[in-house]
Amino acid sequence: MTDIEVLIQQLLTGLSNGMIIALIALGYTMVFGIIELINFAHGDLFMLGCFAALTALGVSGMVDVEPGGIASIITIAALFIIVPTFCATINWCVDRYAYRPLRNSPKLAPLVSALGVSFIFINIGLFWGGLPLEVFGYGSAAAAPKNFPALLPFDNLLGDSAIFVTWRELLVVLVTIPILAALLYFVKCTATGKALRATAQNPTAARLMGIHVDSVIGITFIIGGALAGVASVVYALTYNTVFFQMGFRVGVDAFTAAVLGGIGNLAGACLGGLLIGLVRALSDQYIATQWTNSVVFGILIVVLIFRPSGLLGSRTREKV
Amino acid sequence: MLKHKLFILSAALSFSIIGASDPAFSAPSDPQTIKIVSSLPRTGSANSQSTSIVNGIKLAIDEVGGMIGDAKIIYEDWDDASPERGAWDPALEAANADKAINDPSVVALIGPYNSGAAKISMPKTNAAGLLHVSPSVTWPGLTKPGVGEANEPAVYRPSGKRNFFRVVPADDIQGLVAAQWAKTLGMKTVYVLHDRELYGQGVAEIFRRSAPANRLEVLEFEGIDPKASNYRSLATKIRQRRPDLVYYGGTTQTNAGQIAKDLRASGVTAKLMVPDGCFEQAFIQSAGANNINGRVYITFGGVPPEQLTGAGKKFYDDYKAKFGSAPESYSIYGYEAGRVVIEGIKKAYGKPSFTRASLIEAVANNNDFSGALGRWSFDENGDTTLTTMSGNIVENGQFKFSQLLGAD
Amino acid sequence: MNPLSKLKSFAPSDLQKIFIILMLPVFIEMIFPSLGACDRFKPILVFAVLGFGLNVVTGYCGLLNLGVAAFMAIGAYTFGILTVSIYPFQIGAWPALLVSCCAGAAAGVALGLPTLRLRGDYLAIVTLGFGEIVQDILRNLEVITKGSQGINPLPRLVVFPNERGLDSPIVSYLVILCIVMFVAWTMRNLERSAVGRAWTAVRDDELAAGCMGVPVVRTKLKAFAFGAALCSLAGALWASGLGSTGEPGNFDFALSILALCIVIVGGLGSVAGVLVGAIIMVGFNSIVLVELSERLGAAGFSGTQNVFASPANWKYFVLGAALIITMRLRPNGLLPSKPSEGGVL
Repeated sequence: MTDIEVLIQQLLTGLSNGMIIALIALGYTMVFGIIELINFAHGDLFMLGCFAALTALGVSGMVDVEPGGIASIITIAALFIIVPTFCATINWCVDRYAYRPLRNSPKLAPLVSALGVSFIFINIGLFWGGLPLEVFGYGSAAAAPKNFPALLPFDNLLGDSAIFVTWRELLVVLVTIPILAALLYFVKCTATGKALRATAQNPTAARLMGIHVDSVIGITFIIGGALAGVASVVYALTYNTVFFQMGFRVGVDAFTAAVLGGIGNLAGACLGGLLIGLVRALSDQYIATQWTNSVVFGILIVVLIFRPSGLLGSRTREKV
Repeated sequence: MLKHKLFILSAALSFSIIGASDPAFSAPSDPQTIKIVSSLPRTGSANSQSTSIVNGIKLAIDEVGGMIGDAKIIYEDWDDASPERGAWDPALEAANADKAINDPSVVALIGPYNSGAAKISMPKTNAAGLLHVSPSVTWPGLTKPGVGEANEPAVYRPSGKRNFFRVVPADDIQGLVAAQWAKTLGMKTVYVLHDRELYGQGVAEIFRRSAPANRLEVLEFEGIDPKASNYRSLATKIRQRRPDLVYYGGTTQTNAGQIAKDLRASGVTAKLMVPDGCFEQAFIQSAGANNINGRVYITFGGVPPEQLTGAGKKFYDDYKAKFGSAPESYSIYGYEAGRVVIEGIKKAYGKPSFTRASLIEAVANNNDFSGALGRWSFDENGDTTLTTMSGNIVENGQFKFSQLLGAD
Repeated sequence: MNPLSKLKSFAPSDLQKIFIILMLPVFIEMIFPSLGACDRFKPILVFAVLGFGLNVVTGYCGLLNLGVAAFMAIGAYTFGILTVSIYPFQIGAWPALLVSCCAGAAAGVALGLPTLRLRGDYLAIVTLGFGEIVQDILRNLEVITKGSQGINPLPRLVVFPNERGLDSPIVSYLVILCIVMFVAWTMRNLERSAVGRAWTAVRDDELAAGCMGVPVVRTKLKAFAFGAALCSLAGALWASGLGSTGEPGNFDFALSILALCIVIVGGLGSVAGVLVGAIIMVGFNSIVLVELSERLGAAGFSGTQNVFASPANWKYFVLGAALIITMRLRPNGLLPSKPSEGGVL
């Protein structure tokens, strides 16, 4: 591999990682934008999505399908319907029963509730891995990482080129970009989207204008959950691992991305996600893998010192 | 004001208590019951190995019917892991050691599973003169001078005496045989990764040191983040260097399965070699059989259970009969540790003064011990004289014994 | 001021009751030494100090800090480097304890100076990131920190050494209890000092506080430094009690979250609350669960590979539910600092 090929390869890896991070970051940023809550449970919701995907495979018996065959395509399509629905439902329930009763409580109360939900999710993930299914090794080592069967082939789409592009990277792009476009369209061009933006700007005024704030918030959680579900499927298909503690690193990356881009800002979350993916890949290659986390957070701190509201965030004046 | 009172009260209390006797120095109070305890990670991903070790210990105790002379042997299985760590927890390991020391009926502590945990409990048991046998800790510095830090192993022996024994060969042997095996496999260049944890980094470091003597060129020695979601960019970096072999010093818990997968997905053709921390079914499950069939080499300190002969074969059969499944790789060391303690008690018990010290004496002089692993002794450091290791591969989603590896 | 009014101003009897509870292990130890009550309760005290540190930053000053584990690590490692024989310092345990606090404070200032102008949630992620960076540094700078080896064995804080050079469990428990009492007493006094009032003013309304002439950033910086010093003290106590700094991975996000739970469940900004939080959270973690596991283990329940059988595996369910329920029923914690005036933070 020449140096330039390495660089291109790392950029590709970084972009595909970054897109997955962006999908999850959107969930953080939307919830924050609308109720100013850091939803700590979001990364773990993503983890549960991955477990749901693996369970769906295990129950339907689609474990040993030929990668890239017709059966695997149908399975993948089904996963993209089942898992986002599952995650959206859970996220809505969490909002309804854990966060909504706390809307008028001190600001830390929902945050702590979110931590509580995150704990419960992690515990569910631990137990989920102990279910007596073949995909979980019949529950013999519940806490160990689980393999997600390869539904996508490993072949290089570029033939013999030193640059390796497989269906995995392609899938990330093919799924993420249309979804982001749809999301932007939804938020910018539909009535619900307008209600959403209005609620984000000023919930009291929005309520006075006749917007049903609670259902708007509910919709936000549904969308955020569905995005996490999509990310789960993409992630599981690309990296083939499901693990009850995986929500932490992915969640922190996504949260960092949301803050880096300017929390509450959709485009910012995408930009932040891509940047973090790229920084991680380039730091692994050119600095050292063992310093990558520090590099990511170092960049975050430096950016925030110079742009205290993130890259695309607007400086909000505090009202007196 | 009340606090002042409390302070005076507490000060008074403390004066009154300094003279209190120290239970650790009394002999086992009731010779009728003798307690053996183990401190192993029962929560988290090492639990399947721990369960197997515990079963091995139980088997060893059951073989003597739970009785030695007129004394009843009681075994307790303690956990040194907590869920938030997902692995051993220093506070719990310390608490277990204290508890064992302060309970006069405890004569032996079996454990821990992790070398890092041993660093915490060893000085405690040593100061208290309690027999400590580990089935699985492999950091050489715990017992051997000149391998780890300058102050090792003296720091673990505040009393200056030896109370810690291990029945498993240490990593200075495993790293070395791994390098020798790589040479016999025809490898020329190797990319060494480690998980930046005590066990993984230690064995990777010894592999690196042993490489030049085995005509292996180490292209890079790199620590990774064991919690990272994937290693694709690292795999690209490895692909650029074109090694014959990737050595990962790490365990199933520190993401060895993900590394195996990402190497394959990124088109790295080099084989992967891992130490015995990955020699468990959970590794195959997490890596996915298709991703590692014929691509992974695993070294293990000893012979895999099903390859055993003689006393080892008997252990394997007894275990299967009693627990209904084949033992995991470390189980036999649990059994051997249990046997060492039991045989020690047999020798020491019944003598006029059966104390913790006399038991240590008896175990230390276990020369030419005939156990499930063969005939062996403890050397002057408390290490086993056995150095036989095995090389294993994965075929059809199962570990398969490949060859014996010797450390010379 | 007459002594009686001083006694009254001493927060309700909550604090006294709590210290009496914290004396219980001593009596238990005297009567039933085999239970090891003091050794088991000691983590509660250590984590109470950590809680106090976080309480200064989050409770008094209203800054969400998700990286207290990093300051704890700094304390533990400073203590280790200053006392262990492989380093050239060896200044003894008690002086090292003090230096650890100073090192923590310095780290707090170093982190706070550039970042304290940030909004609350941004500061939260910065502190979280700082926690990760410190872990990386501890792992990677092996020359200084010994990386994955950890630093050991660390000296104990010994007052009346016995023949093994250690305090008896009761003495070592009381030593830490005295430290906790001293910290609690300092906190009570700080609360009513100028700087304490400045902290709460900044927490309640930063803009108004600034307009009233409170130097906002400097006030926050003081809170950060003081909180970090206490967290480092907790780290040094923890490491010395354990005899090792452990692996760098011990000081991870889960630890910071434990500290946050202690402070929030107990009641933000409340000295008695922190102690209650520590008793509940740490007591559940390292006493109730361990005890339960053992009882079940002795009864033959655990020891299978079944993940549901081990009580420790249910811990996060219980913790999570406890947090959610506490927030539903008492959003200001079990022992809130004052009758709530609408909101903390």
